[in-house]
Amino acid sequence: MNRLVILGAAAAALAAPLPAQTLRVVTSTTDLHDIAHAVGDDRISAMSIAAGYQDPHFVEAKPSFALKLGKADVFAYVGLDLEIGWMPTLVDAARNRRINRGGSGDVDVSRVIPVLDVQATADRSMGDVHPRGNPHYWLHPENGKRIARLFRDKFSELDPEGAATYRANTARFEASIDSTTRALAPMLASIRGQPVVAYHTSWRYFQEFTGMNIVGFIEPKPGVPPSPSHLAGLIQQMKRTGAKVIIMEPFYDRKMPDFVARNTGAKVLVLPPSVDGVKGVDSYVELVDYDVRRLAEALR
Amino acid sequence: MRTIFLSSALVALVGATATAQQPDTTARRDSIARADSIARADSIRLVRELERIRGEARPPQQIGGMAPTPATQPTNPSLNPNISVIGDIVVDASPDGSTLESARRFDVREIELALGANVDPYFRGDFILGISDEEGLAIEEGYLTTTSLPWRLQVRAGRFHAPFGKQNTTHRAELHTIEYPHVIQRLLGAEGGKGTGLAVSKIFSPFGFYQELQLTAIERFPEGAHEHEGEEEHAFEGEPLAPPNKTLRGLGYTARFRNYWDIDESTNLEISFSGGTGRIAEPFGCESVLVPGELEPCPGPDGETALLARQSLIGADATFRWRPLQQGLYRSLILQAEVMRQHNDEPALPSGLPGSAAYLGPTEETTGLYVFGRWQLTRRLFLGGRYDWVGAAAEAERDLSAVSGYLQFFPSEFSKMVLGYENLRPDVGDRVNRLLLQMTLAIGPHRPHPF
Repeated sequence: MNRLVILGAAAAALAAPLPAQTLRVVTSTTDLHDIAHAVGDDRISAMSIAAGYQDPHFVEAKPSFALKLGKADVFAYVGLDLEIGWMPTLVDAARNRRINRGGSGDVDVSRVIPVLDVQATADRSMGDVHPRGNPHYWLHPENGKRIARLFRDKFSELDPEGAATYRANTARFEASIDSTTRALAPMLASIRGQPVVAYHTSWRYFQEFTGMNIVGFIEPKPGVPPSPSHLAGLIQQMKRTGAKVIIMEPFYDRKMPDFVARNTGAKVLVLPPSVDGVKGVDSYVELVDYDVRRLAEALR
Repeated sequence: MRTIFLSSALVALVGATATAQQPDTTARRDSIARADSIARADSIRLVRELERIRGEARPPQQIGGMAPTPATQPTNPSLNPNISVIGDIVVDASPDGSTLESARRFDVREIELALGANVDPYFRGDFILGISDEEGLAIEEGYLTTTSLPWRLQVRAGRFHAPFGKQNTTHRAELHTIEYPHVIQRLLGAEGGKGTGLAVSKIFSPFGFYQELQLTAIERFPEGAHEHEGEEEHAFEGEPLAPPNKTLRGLGYTARFRNYWDIDESTNLEISFSGGTGRIAEPFGCESVLVPGELEPCPGPDGETALLARQSLIGADATFRWRPLQQGLYRSLILQAEVMRQHNDEPALPSGLPGSAAYLGPTEETTGLYVFGRWQLTRRLFLGGRYDWVGAAAEAERDLSAVSGYLQFFPSEFSKMVLGYENLRPDVGDRVNRLLLQMTLAIGPHRPHPF
């Protein structure tokens, strides 16, 4: 009798539905992480390799990241060679077929993005250029929606049971972006056409979104620190164009922007290019909202 | 194209409706349908944009002076491998003449030509050819690496830097210093220890941190420069009865056990242990009858003039890194130390040799270490220092020791200049002051190096 009870209990345990397995998602940046989380919610577990206040070009390929990638079902990355300095090492070290090129979990997000600044010809005398296009595309909310749709499709493919949840979450995410951009309309109108200077070419898509007019860069070429003669030329250009704001990322040194600001009367505005780039910017929607509001305030 | 897309969208829509299991409110369903509709419209627009751009002979429409281009265009339709060239140029401005191996003041020490690509879904191929005046064209490395083995296993076959110690696995041109630490030069070779064979590695983390075990079997155990400063090599090498690789015991074997911890987001520590063993042919000789005091080959009973001697090496290394994430472009610190100990067996001489017969291979135990540190001063400037010590061998006058300092300047990620000063107290002879300038450059998409 006891045996029958034990066998029955074992059979019941085997027949009971298994708890839903969460998709293990690793992203290269916090922006992709937040959008993945918005789409996947509690059906996925997600982690980002780069921190939001870190330059995503220069991430150390730590073995601990390889451990995380080794268990990942999905590895979503910005692409366009943004992560070229560290991603190949990590993907090799992860030894995970799912995230190898062409694997079921290999998600190059750039493939759904209409890319700007593709270089017809490029060499390294032009600085740290990305020949396949500017990779900072997440700073345009329409691209945020495209990323969400890509995640919805990928997560649905790997976890068909969650497809309805992913669809609903994506719709909710898109609606929150739309309501945020509607609320930002007056500020966007005030930014349109205003001359600004940026530190790096990170703000190209944000420029398309806001209509701000980038008239110069602190870096003479992408990734190349400025020389005194470049800064002198930039100061003249700012005076000529009336640029009153210098936008920089939190991971750059303020010395050069402050120097230019002192010589032009401009303000230095530290804007996070990514989620968690500064305190209080904890989601993608908050990032868009924060950056537009701060820029509009600085230009006022 | 459009038909296929619309059919797919229809199938996806039907499938989605069929699989939807959660009760939805009408508003929620409407919201989802609206979002799907927007998504489809956006996808259709993107596909049309792609088709339009592909179909047009003229450049795509300019938006704000910049061209939007789809990222899905093939970037390497010919499937060519990545080709990179690394140049390593050294200038020796030492006060007492050149201290380089080539004895030149200006030396193109080596040009490395690296080719690499995925071979198929199962293997990656990497080939590095070294070109130098001394060695001509040589195979520095050339190996296949598996890319899809289960259980986090990886197998490498070919010629590669033996996974022994920390710095030995880095190419010389990419070191933080101009030359390998003296203990590596002495025990593994001036260009680091390489081997041709098979390597298997497995990653695991039973205790929550990264661990890796690397095992290799190679044709020949890497030989260091076991003769010392000022000591001449023997005029003959000798011929053993059978080559070391005749039996599996004669091959070279190495093992490395890596342990890595993240202390916090900016700081990490790696402590690893290495071991290796192999048999090496070493000569024996007898005093010359014609030239007293000089040794010459004196064959054993089976005609052999060398013996197979077992050489073993153990080592431990530790690397501490600090790099704050937000200021990581401008501030970082590396502290590294490595210790190695070599043991040489002295094989018994064949019977029937004259009384003056002597084994000429190394017999001493040799221990060496280095401690290295590098501090980042600015975005492009780094200051480093190293202390080297290698214990005295039997024939040497004293221990080798050296203190060196390095100023590194990186104009970009792809070029580097290093000014180095070393005060070297060799194990034989006078103290040497060395002043070196190294310039390294890489062109092409050279793959990043392991952490």
